[in-house]
Amino acid sequence: MNMSARVLVVLALRNLRRQLRRTALTASAMIVGGALLVFSLAVGDGGHEQWIDSGVRLGTGHVTVEHPGYRVSRRIDDRLPADVRRLAEQAFAAPDIAPYVVASSAKLSLNGLASSAAGSRPARIVAVDPVAEAGFGMLDDQVVAGRYLEPADRLAAYVGAALVDSLELRIGSRFVVQAQDAHREIAGQLLRVVGVFRSGLPEVDQTVLQIPRDTAGEWLGSARDVTNVGAVLSASAATAGVRGRLERILAEPVARGDARVMGWRESDPALAAAVAVDDFGNYLVQAFLFTIIAFGVVNTVLMSVMHRHREFGVLQALGLTPRQTGAIVLVEGLTLSAVSGLIGVGLGLTLTWWLFGDGLDLSGMMDEANGLTVSGAVVDPVVVPLFSVRRIAECALFILGVGVAASIYPALRAARIDVTEAMKFDR
Amino acid sequence: MRGSPWRRIGWRNLGRNPKRTALTALGLAVGYFAVVFMVGWSEGIVAELIENSTSLVSGQIEIHHAEYRPERSLYDTIGGRAGADFEALLRAIDADRAVTASAPRAYAGGLISSGEATSAGMLLGVDPAREVRLTRFLDPLVAGVLPAAGRNELVVGDELARQLAVGVGDELVVVASGADGSMANDLYAVAGIYRTGLVEFDASTAVMPLTDLQTLVVLGPDRIHEIAVATADPSTAAATAARLSATLDADGRAVTVAPWTELNPVLREYAALADSVYLVFIAIIFAVASFGVANTMLMATFERRREFAVMLALGAAPRSIVGIVLYEALAIGAISVAAGAAITVPLMAWFHVAPPGLGWLYGDVTIYGALLTPSLRVGHNVPVWTWATVGLVLTALAAAFYPALRAARTPPADTLSGI
Repeated sequence: MNMSARVLVVLALRNLRRQLRRTALTASAMIVGGALLVFSLAVGDGGHEQWIDSGVRLGTGHVTVEHPGYRVSRRIDDRLPADVRRLAEQAFAAPDIAPYVVASSAKLSLNGLASSAAGSRPARIVAVDPVAEAGFGMLDDQVVAGRYLEPADRLAAYVGAALVDSLELRIGSRFVVQAQDAHREIAGQLLRVVGVFRSGLPEVDQTVLQIPRDTAGEWLGSARDVTNVGAVLSASAATAGVRGRLERILAEPVARGDARVMGWRESDPALAAAVAVDDFGNYLVQAFLFTIIAFGVVNTVLMSVMHRHREFGVLQALGLTPRQTGAIVLVEGLTLSAVSGLIGVGLGLTLTWWLFGDGLDLSGMMDEANGLTVSGAVVDPVVVPLFSVRRIAECALFILGVGVAASIYPALRAARIDVTEAMKFDR
Repeated sequence: MRGSPWRRIGWRNLGRNPKRTALTALGLAVGYFAVVFMVGWSEGIVAELIENSTSLVSGQIEIHHAEYRPERSLYDTIGGRAGADFEALLRAIDADRAVTASAPRAYAGGLISSGEATSAGMLLGVDPAREVRLTRFLDPLVAGVLPAAGRNELVVGDELARQLAVGVGDELVVVASGADGSMANDLYAVAGIYRTGLVEFDASTAVMPLTDLQTLVVLGPDRIHEIAVATADPSTAAATAARLSATLDADGRAVTVAPWTELNPVLREYAALADSVYLVFIAIIFAVASFGVANTMLMATFERRREFAVMLALGAAPRSIVGIVLYEALAIGAISVAAGAAITVPLMAWFHVAPPGLGWLYGDVTIYGALLTPSLRVGHNVPVWTWATVGLVLTALAAAFYPALRAARTPPADTLSGI
């Protein structure tokens, strides 16, 4: 069996060599396809990684620990109990989680009304530890006037540019925020603008203001409590693993109903949907491309079967079973598509890494759409391709699948040859 | 010899190996469908984004006091502090031939409390009867009915209702600062609940009759912040806005008339970006498809090299041989276009009229603040059908060029002597 398998492979490969130009042309299509597949997936994944990073830094991180009721109510009543918060902060520092954590930040976020003489606007008030938040978020780098919050600040506010405009504020201006406090009373607080940021996201610039956590604690009577502890991870792919470990560490408060651990897909479904729709579009394009390529493979292999009608007749007359004849063709088609496809994947990897490893600058193309935002994330025109073993394995499997699918029909044709008819001398 | 026999020979050769022809044509037809479908889907997305950003909550055109944007101050009402006879303005706007609906609006920020919970929100004052003709978010409501003027009723977004834990019939306290500097508060009943899908909006906006909001925040009955206008076709909004601007300015009012292209320029630019990607996409699809055609034509010409040798020996010009092969490629192109159209037309019609939902795959997305729901809805794009046809035929011809040259260079004597 081993011997005959080797003979079948040799026969199959010899046939590919016999029609070099045809093989080369079909292989070229596959190589181009494989390279395009890897390139578009690496660029797509790299772009998504950047969307996710941008989205979670403005939100609650790749993973977040919060009270189960908070997502729905957004109320200060549903803040994280102090012991759960301590446990969560310790968990982020645990040896099997810490290596993945780039930054973590404990925040108190709630809705309030910001008012000045010019009017009132609903605002998302985020009380932060200025040092931790500077590492976690991106807003601290997006100052357009003044400065970011500092640890010694009291009654200071770092406010979105559009909110500053609509309340007609300036650096140093005072304004009032009102929100429900820990005792369910409406409490007001006077704040002073120390800095103004512009993130490029209209929904953020119009509503968000950051204040020091201590100021919020005094204002709302919530002491040092927070509504979530979140972490930015080194890669979004680490989310599921870190989430699982956090859930084990926090098993007790989770079971008690005092805590919930969420990955970014749950805490930001709109962002997850944006990634999914973009991926779906990309997969569709690849499906179309490989359908076209597969027709080419079918054509090539089928033609080579037709031309070797007599040859297959002879082989079967010499004792090859139909199954073995089919196997020759299957190996031929699979070798053609798999080898060239994998060469394409390798080529795509090398070229993408070599040409665009430092980032593919799409700003020329996106020139007009500068400042594009998707589901609460700012789209960076410079995309750094992301390579992952999983993706490459998926590409390889997909190409093998296409190869098998394209060779099945020609193989069946070869297997079903009528020996006597095929060997008839009719020329 | 005239051109016709070459054409006939080219065409006839397709029938020699129907399976090969069919496979090649199918490859091209899939490429044709891919181009038309992907561009159509992308157009559908852009169309939905524009539609949702211009008819879900906002209008296609918005008219404000010249100072109103970007601060959106409570005091910058149309016509200044004295206000304006906006009923007359609405009549003037409705008189424009392109306008299908217009509605007055006023805005104020306030605290909304259910007693248990309090949230900050925007209060939007509308004329319910006019508003439902302009935008979609109040019709249909998720629950309840539209608020009636003078009865202290309002409707809230589903997210806000959830955060405040209220339903239809429950009472809410609204606290807002009035235009006269006072703090106003009043009790309202939840008449209904709406849902746009824009979470931020649904979590923050309460809608009440215009006159009720004017009473609450102490604005005179002539004072509104905005007139939103809908036209029959979003693409003509800019022209309509310019026309309205001329009409309204003639009366000496300090108003700005802004079409959505100005209110949300990024969305327009996103549409332009999508356009520029189409050509790259068409090029990639047909480049890959060209390998298949080249292969088929190479096979077909190689098999017939003795035939070509005989023709050349009989005195046919090499140019005629090139012609035969190119005609053959052209014929494949024509068959592919027919097959492509046969696949594409019914599918595109289906996706356009009754787009399949993609909710199982992904949820609502927002692109630059505009809502996108998961569906496979495709838009009309007439040029792309032409582009796909031209691209396909050019691909077939380009891919056949090298095989044609090789066929023409067949050495007659050598080919005929050796078998």
